[in-house]
Amino acid sequence: MKINVHGLAFKQSMAVFAGISIVFAALFLFSNSQIQGKLSQMLLQKGEEVSRANVALINKLFSSGRTFGEDVAYNIGNKKMSAAELDDYLLRTLSGVRATVPQVVAMVAAFEPGMAPKGIDGEYMRLAYFSGDSTTVINGGNYHEKIWYKSTKDSLKGLWQEPFIGDFIKEPIVIFTTPIFREDYNGEKKFAGVLCVDISIAFLKDMIANMPVSNDGYAVVLSASNMIIAHPKNELTFKANFASLSRNASHKRLVEFENAVHSMKNGLFLGSSVDGEDAAIYFTAMESIDWTFLIVWPAHKFMEEQRSVSHMYAWITFGGYAIVFVLILVITFRASRPLKSLAVAADKLGEGDFSATIPDLTGRDEVSQLAGAFKKMRTSLQTFIETQKDMDRSKRDLEFSRGIQLGILSKNEMEEGCGDNRHALAPFLLPAQNAGGDYYDFFKLDDDHLVVLVADVAGKGIPATLVMLVSRVVIRTLALHHTSVAEIFNETNDGLMSHNRDQLFVTAWMGILDLRNGHMEFASAGHKAPAIHRKDGSVSFVNSVPDIALVVKEDCTYNAQTLDLNPGDTLFMYTDGVTGARNADGETFGKDNLLRALADCGDRAPAEINSFVKERLDHFTGDVQQLDDMAMLSVRYDGAPEKA
Amino acid sequence: MEIVKTRKDVTMTLAIEGRLDSLTSPQLEAEIVGKLDGVAHLIFDLSKLEFISSSGLRALLLTQKIMDKQGSMTIRNLPQEFREYFDEVGFSRVMRIE
Repeated sequence: MKINVHGLAFKQSMAVFAGISIVFAALFLFSNSQIQGKLSQMLLQKGEEVSRANVALINKLFSSGRTFGEDVAYNIGNKKMSAAELDDYLLRTLSGVRATVPQVVAMVAAFEPGMAPKGIDGEYMRLAYFSGDSTTVINGGNYHEKIWYKSTKDSLKGLWQEPFIGDFIKEPIVIFTTPIFREDYNGEKKFAGVLCVDISIAFLKDMIANMPVSNDGYAVVLSASNMIIAHPKNELTFKANFASLSRNASHKRLVEFENAVHSMKNGLFLGSSVDGEDAAIYFTAMESIDWTFLIVWPAHKFMEEQRSVSHMYAWITFGGYAIVFVLILVITFRASRPLKSLAVAADKLGEGDFSATIPDLTGRDEVSQLAGAFKKMRTSLQTFIETQKDMDRSKRDLEFSRGIQLGILSKNEMEEGCGDNRHALAPFLLPAQNAGGDYYDFFKLDDDHLVVLVADVAGKGIPATLVMLVSRVVIRTLALHHTSVAEIFNETNDGLMSHNRDQLFVTAWMGILDLRNGHMEFASAGHKAPAIHRKDGSVSFVNSVPDIALVVKEDCTYNAQTLDLNPGDTLFMYTDGVTGARNADGETFGKDNLLRALADCGDRAPAEINSFVKERLDHFTGDVQQLDDMAMLSVRYDGAPEKA
Repeated sequence: MEIVKTRKDVTMTLAIEGRLDSLTSPQLEAEIVGKLDGVAHLIFDLSKLEFISSSGLRALLLTQKIMDKQGSMTIRNLPQEFREYFDEVGFSRVMRIE
């Protein structure tokens, strides 16, 4: 299938396609964000579930460590113990606490100078620790400038120090330090030293290692300064700060993370893990200690679920997309194919070829309607053109006939060269739409003999015109050799009869006027009698007995008749288009009206008589179109001039 | 124009109603030419003729010429107003008008 990029189908497809793309894209984005929202919610819930027990355990441990430390510091401050008593107390309490909190591995009591048990001056520090299966007490020193001592002395309250790997106990340790107060002689509470409780956090490693977290997630514990103190990868512990190890993460993201961690109790953060990999991180702050417990899901794993759902959505979207696209293509091309063939058919019609196939559509859609309308159009166009052709032919015929009738006949005596001062004549011819056989003729046989004639060839069109032409020539030719009208008609009839298969008979009235005396010999071949307008104003029809029309019957004998014109008399010859003219009521003009019109002419000249009669005719017929030709010929005899 | 055609054995009658002029005479010719086989007597009933022009006469003459060869033609009930025309043109002399 060749695709026309300017075609309706293509444009429509593209428009729908674009619309659908927007809808699908919106749907995809919406579903994606929905998935993401759901997933975040799920992760938050999961993180909370997984970390809850562990966080509670750690909280419990540290709060009991703190309580224990504060109790011990109080007792040391208030009971005036000897050095031996102190050692014994430290060892006893350490053993005691270990029964319930085995993570407590050591205790340290460090004194301000002068505050140590009796008999000891200067600095004094005793460290009781558990090693193997027994507890031992040893001396320590040089503690005054240590951070744990100084910070506690400065703040005068219990503190959790940053975890570290112990010197005596080679494991990760976190220390709770709390000040020891003692009343002096004045009863005032005075800072006497610092008590430390060393708690091993080696258990954290096992704890997070054994934590079951789905999707490859794992737990991480961060100290107050964001140092990693527990991580499944042991080598990272105490060596890295969570931020410094997030190699690929941007600074901005880390700041965001720290802000989130320190401002919220818990939450979900989409950031990066220490491996620099995108990750979803659930965090929760611990109440007992300023640490953060994290559950980290590597992005590739945690995204997997989202991705698979997204992929499914994408495939559904793409599938729908493809189906809709194909459907659109099919529908539009199905619709446009008949349009295309209609266009081809229209092209062919434009070139005048009516054989072009128009798609036969039975549907009720617009294209089918168009095809139907198109078929109708073709049929009516064809009919119209056919009739137009016919009309053209008859019009051409008519033009031909008119051309001959009006062109070949002389319009005045000057053309014919037959004028003289003894007579005057004027012809008139009005071919009708469908006729074409009326004519008049006038010519001189010699100086003194004028031939006048009107004739009507029955029938119409070119055949009638041809008969007219032939009869005109025949009559003129015969007239050169005969001086009798009757003989001319006899021979004309015989001549035309032998070649007339169409029965195009001719009526004719012909007279030969002797210009010397006004005497006229005439014959009538089935033609109406002319009228005479006498000089005195009287009008009458010529007493003319018609013989049979020309070309009806063989061997006819025409009779010669005569009339006489006096000077000033006018002979009015006509064809039956004049008396047969009809008005809207179907009445014919008739002989009476003709006589009346002639009577009203007064002493008008021949040309004026013709137009006067025509005016009367027009007045009578009104707008009714006449079916028959009209021919008139008026001849006035003026008499021979008196000889000088 | 209406043409009512009736035939009884070799006699055919054509009753013409209305105008027989240059517009309608081709219709009459179509009824005649080539359709008169076996017709010995053709009768035109012109009682309802309203008008006849030279074209109409020509059609009748054409028919007359055909019937001259195979039988006879008769014109019946020619209204008086057209009789003059038939006489004038001389058709009264070549056609049987009853």
